[in-house]
Amino acid sequence: MPSRPHITVDDLRIGYGTRVLMEHTTFQVERGTIFAILGGSGCGKSSLLRHLIGLERQQAGRIDIDGVGEPSQYEGVPPFGVLFQSGALFSSLTLAENLWLPLNRWTPMRGATAHELVQAKLDLVGLGAFAEYLPGEISGGMKKRAGVARALVLEADLLFFDEPSAGLDPISAVELDQLIITLSRDLGITVVIVTHELPSIFLVADNCIVLDKAAKGIVAQGDPRKLRDESEIPFVHAFFTRSSYDVTANPGG
Amino acid sequence: MSVALRTDREGGHATLVPTGSFDLSHATEVTQAVSDAEASLNGCRSVDVDLTQLDRIDGAGAVLLARLLDRLEADGRQASVKGDNPEATRLIALYRERRTILPAPQIRTTNPLTRIGAVVAQLPGKANDAFDFIGRCAVAIPKAAVTPRSVDWRSLPSLMQEIGADALPVTSAANLVVGIIIGLLGISELGRFGANSYVPELVVVAHFRELGPLVTAIVVAGRSGAGLASKMATMKVSEEIDALRSMGFDPVRWLVLPRCLALAVTVPLLTWVGDLLALVGGLVATVVMTDMTPHAYMEGTLKAITASNLLTGLIKAPFLALAIGLIACGQGLLTRGGAAAVGARTTTAVVLAIFSTIVISALFTLFFALMGA
Repeated sequence: MPSRPHITVDDLRIGYGTRVLMEHTTFQVERGTIFAILGGSGCGKSSLLRHLIGLERQQAGRIDIDGVGEPSQYEGVPPFGVLFQSGALFSSLTLAENLWLPLNRWTPMRGATAHELVQAKLDLVGLGAFAEYLPGEISGGMKKRAGVARALVLEADLLFFDEPSAGLDPISAVELDQLIITLSRDLGITVVIVTHELPSIFLVADNCIVLDKAAKGIVAQGDPRKLRDESEIPFVHAFFTRSSYDVTANPGG
Repeated sequence: MSVALRTDREGGHATLVPTGSFDLSHATEVTQAVSDAEASLNGCRSVDVDLTQLDRIDGAGAVLLARLLDRLEADGRQASVKGDNPEATRLIALYRERRTILPAPQIRTTNPLTRIGAVVAQLPGKANDAFDFIGRCAVAIPKAAVTPRSVDWRSLPSLMQEIGADALPVTSAANLVVGIIIGLLGISELGRFGANSYVPELVVVAHFRELGPLVTAIVVAGRSGAGLASKMATMKVSEEIDALRSMGFDPVRWLVLPRCLALAVTVPLLTWVGDLLALVGGLVATVVMTDMTPHAYMEGTLKAITASNLLTGLIKAPFLALAIGLIACGQGLLTRGGAAAVGARTTTAVVLAIFSTIVISALFTLFFALMGA
């Protein structure tokens, strides 16, 4: 019997005031998979992510995270971790202190045990030797990995990544992609990635949705490799093959 | 669900059997169980961890078991996991293989003498930075005169508004209150000798020569100095200063000169307005607290206002303003790091600016005293 989806989004409408960014959006994210939210700039990828993690409330429709319910209504130990685009590390705290902060807030662990857990998470992302560094003293790729370690510290089984490869050199981007694959395969974590980096999409994503600004919603969903090879939707084809696409000729995507 | 780590011993071999939930929410109990089990392993040469009876494990539980195995191996014992639990085996293996062996942490000395020494050792470098910045500003003035387009003159009116005009209410209020305080102090002390008629002169001398420029400068340092330092520091950490340099601008000429000029023009004006309001404060205090008439007070005041009293104060004002501007901009440009560095530099800038205004004011007073002015 297939397990219950980790995330269910049903007939979602999101926007700000009278401006609708996305409507009639329905999709599911299966447990333990890597799911990509794709689309060009301004199509609402990051807005959708903000709704999925409960920072914004939708105008209509339903978001249900298994074991959490509606994320914007949830209170308590965060059941998912988030890696923000910039890493969003607290600049006045060392990497270890950044990880210790949620642990201190939500668990009774102190002292050597807390230190051991924090160090293990930093080791996991390859930053064990940088625990006492400030975010300003490490590179962009290291900041992202430290952000991943912080997102993992409360043992969430669901992680959200906002543009993880943005601003990284190709090697750092691939290293981060490998880390995402490790998290999914070895730790069984469900990963939702917002991105428009094609190499990253084809390397890590099991499944994806493609959003289009003009269509105000999903224009395709499925395995990104299959969509690249088989999709006949002009926008999707153009997106995956990096070819030019005339929006005015195809306003509906 | 209870957590336990049972020890089954057979001679020199032991099997540790974890049961229950080895997860983040039970991490404290797991730590205790691991510690108790470890203490019971004296004399064991080999240890197995049997994962068959584990109900649940997550990263936290896996880390604690992985570190136990690491410590056992470091003690020279054979340590391994067994049992049909692929998820737990995989997690423990992941955390064991990704462990970083760190060098022993350096113990930081807390000896007070060492700390004093470390602070003193930094002073030449800091003094060098300060002189370097002052030198660059001094060189910027003739260069700006030669190439006026290298200075952002267009920002000057808005800077004067921001630094000067917007600060007028708070500097005026501060000077008014100081005028009242001097008046009350004069009435209290001079009144004992029946010398209340000297209160207007006391207010003029004390405020015009010393307190007017000083109070105004301190308020401007706290308000406008903090604003300038944080703005410059933010520009530095967000690479705007680097962008200016990359486009061929000299940040000292483009940013620092207009700000210092705006301060040098507006602070004397603020001081002058503050002096007038201090006179009003002294008048109100004296008229309310004594039988002196406003007319008599005004006469006493006009007699006390001499060119010497007025100018010794006003001459200081532009120098105090320059000190505030140079310190605020200099500290801002020295910022390195992220948002936290902006706050730290702003605090340093305000403290240094206030301290410098007091020292400069004292030096001027000493100079005028020596000159007999």
